[in-house]
Amino acid sequence: MELAELTRPADRPAAGDPADRDRDRDRGRTRRRARLRARAVSFGMVGPAVLLYTVMTIVPVGVAVYLSLTDWNGFSSAAFVGLKNYRHLFDDPNSTSAWWVTAIIAVVGSVLMIGGGLAYAIVLKEKSRTNSFFRALAYYPHVISALILGYLWAAILGTNGAINNTLAHFGFGPVGFLFDENLALISLIGVIVWAGFGFNVVLFVAALQTVPAELTEAASIDGASRWQTNRRVVIPMIAPVVTVATVLNLVGLVRAYDLVVSLTGGGPAGATQTYAYVILARSFESTKVGYATAQAVFLMVISAVLALLVTAVRNRQDTDVAG
Amino acid sequence: MGRPRRRTWTAAVAATMVAAAAAGCSSDSKSSGGDGGQTTLRVIVNITPNLTEQYWTGLFAGYEKTHPNVKIKLELTGTVSAQAKLTQDLAAGDPPDIAQQITPTRDTASLYADLSDQAWAKDTPLVDQYAIDGKRYLVGVGVQIQSLVFYNKAAFAKAGVDAAGIKTLDQFGEAMGKLKAAGYTPLQTAGQWVPGGQFSLLADSGVLTNDPDWYAKRAKKSVTFAGSDYVKYLDRYKSWVDQGYLEKSALGLTYADGQTAFLNGKSAMYVMGSFFVPAADTAKKSDDIGVFTMPTDGAYPSGQVGNIANPYVVASASKHKAAATDFVKWLVTDPGAIESQLAADGNLRKGFTYKMSSLGTAVQQLLDASPSVLVKAGDRQPISGYSGELNKQIQSLYSSASAKQVADGLDKWWNSQN
Repeated sequence: MELAELTRPADRPAAGDPADRDRDRDRGRTRRRARLRARAVSFGMVGPAVLLYTVMTIVPVGVAVYLSLTDWNGFSSAAFVGLKNYRHLFDDPNSTSAWWVTAIIAVVGSVLMIGGGLAYAIVLKEKSRTNSFFRALAYYPHVISALILGYLWAAILGTNGAINNTLAHFGFGPVGFLFDENLALISLIGVIVWAGFGFNVVLFVAALQTVPAELTEAASIDGASRWQTNRRVVIPMIAPVVTVATVLNLVGLVRAYDLVVSLTGGGPAGATQTYAYVILARSFESTKVGYATAQAVFLMVISAVLALLVTAVRNRQDTDVAG
Repeated sequence: MGRPRRRTWTAAVAATMVAAAAAGCSSDSKSSGGDGGQTTLRVIVNITPNLTEQYWTGLFAGYEKTHPNVKIKLELTGTVSAQAKLTQDLAAGDPPDIAQQITPTRDTASLYADLSDQAWAKDTPLVDQYAIDGKRYLVGVGVQIQSLVFYNKAAFAKAGVDAAGIKTLDQFGEAMGKLKAAGYTPLQTAGQWVPGGQFSLLADSGVLTNDPDWYAKRAKKSVTFAGSDYVKYLDRYKSWVDQGYLEKSALGLTYADGQTAFLNGKSAMYVMGSFFVPAADTAKKSDDIGVFTMPTDGAYPSGQVGNIANPYVVASASKHKAAATDFVKWLVTDPGAIESQLAADGNLRKGFTYKMSSLGTAVQQLLDASPSVLVKAGDRQPISGYSGELNKQIQSLYSSASAKQVADGLDKWWNSQN
């Protein structure tokens, strides 16, 4: 007996029957309708998100790119100036100095926030009341407005602030946390790290708790020290989370603005002027909206490149490990 | 109804709701329009230590009392200046009806209502100095003068310095040396905008008295900072920093903290505008403080660098232009409103008096003795962003930058701003 005959239901009629053709046609129609319905449902589910994304992101970015090619001052009609604003990015003294400051903050801040957050999370990864308290303590600054944190730290670090007042009681002169150009940048990075590393702690603690205990136990049995276990087993296991945190930190720090405004105001002598600060407090306030938009578009591109770069490096490392 | 059809309907309804919500988001929820016959006028003002939110609310209440159909809504600017807030609102297509402390330029004049046809406008102070192509967009309450040095009488007495004998920069420097030796910080400054602002008051008194059109010439590139008398003032300033007459640690103070330090007698002199007087009055220190005109290397007394005090503009896009214009008229012509605003910020206006302290009277006498009031408006106005750049550059004098580097930096920045 042929296999087809064995698998054909006994009651299935032979092909070529007109009634069968009608039935097949009905089935075909039903299937098409079902497909259409499924597509409608898909569009219905995806459509609102696409619409919102278009309205909230794609259109504003498109408008920003258009404005960046004009001399718009925020109110008069805008004239097309081609790439003039983009060329000015490279001969504007404030832009170039602000990029250095931004790069230092982004790199040093990210390293400290990732490194500090990871170390803190490893120490506090076990579940206990004490650890929960310290995790909450680390995260606490993250829930307060950065502007308020800046003013708070200015009251602590300023010439008349809590620290310098205390020093004055002991006969010491004021420390230039906010008035010395180098110290002001260090102070700003310190406050940024303090305010932001709690977010990394939460991410890393969550990731660390997903690392199977068998792996660390096996490493321990094989004689690995705690440092070696963390370095060779735990951190590679949470590498994707570290990548996400690195991207978020870098992109966030490249856009640092609010703490700059409230803590140092970009001073002294522009030593803490970040690129985002220059866009908002210098270019935009001077009603150079077209130029400010070009700066913002450039910042957006840099952020995207940074994010892609970090992800690519991470992916390559993952591939190397897998290979 | 089958399950697939139900899902289709659910998705369609969800999509409609989201689309409606998105459309709702884009509609203008703010309105300065009338509601039940009442007109709401939105006003942007600068909040300062003298002109607080409480002050403005109290002032506006006086108008609302006599105009029950008008409600004045004060719009706070947050961490940005009135100019920046106005720019944001204009860019967002949501301008206020009235803005205080905004100076129109030729580029921005069309944004503001032309008040030239208002008969009352011509009698307001400095109105024609701020006119653009003969059109009056800006009207103010009074005159604010700024080429002033306030001094601590006790410190001068202790150091043996006679304020009347300080007319040149050499004499000024000599006095600072004596004051430092007597244990005082000779000249008070602070962080934020203060160093650039104070330098401007110092140098402009000399440079602009000699050439009131200097900034107009700089705009045409016929003069430069590096080739002008500004370098001499930068050199002086740098030498004062080096000699400890100006303390670097003051850059870590806010404007208000710096002012408080001077009022508390920690420092001997304070370069500031006439708006410092109310702060001294409030602190009940007016009788302990004296004032003299800014010393220069040229004629003495120099012209007073001044500006219009409490200037107002009406937005041309205002839906209530007539009501807004009427409110501005009240602000700059009503005797009660004028006196209140003059007194609140230590400003002056011919024909108006208010109960002045000894310090206020001394400032008035300096204005009376001044050969001119130098106004940086219209073509004589520096390009936008200049004050921020000047402040940044002046702060660099507290570190390693030299006067020449600062002057070159200002020229480089100015030339890059075309």
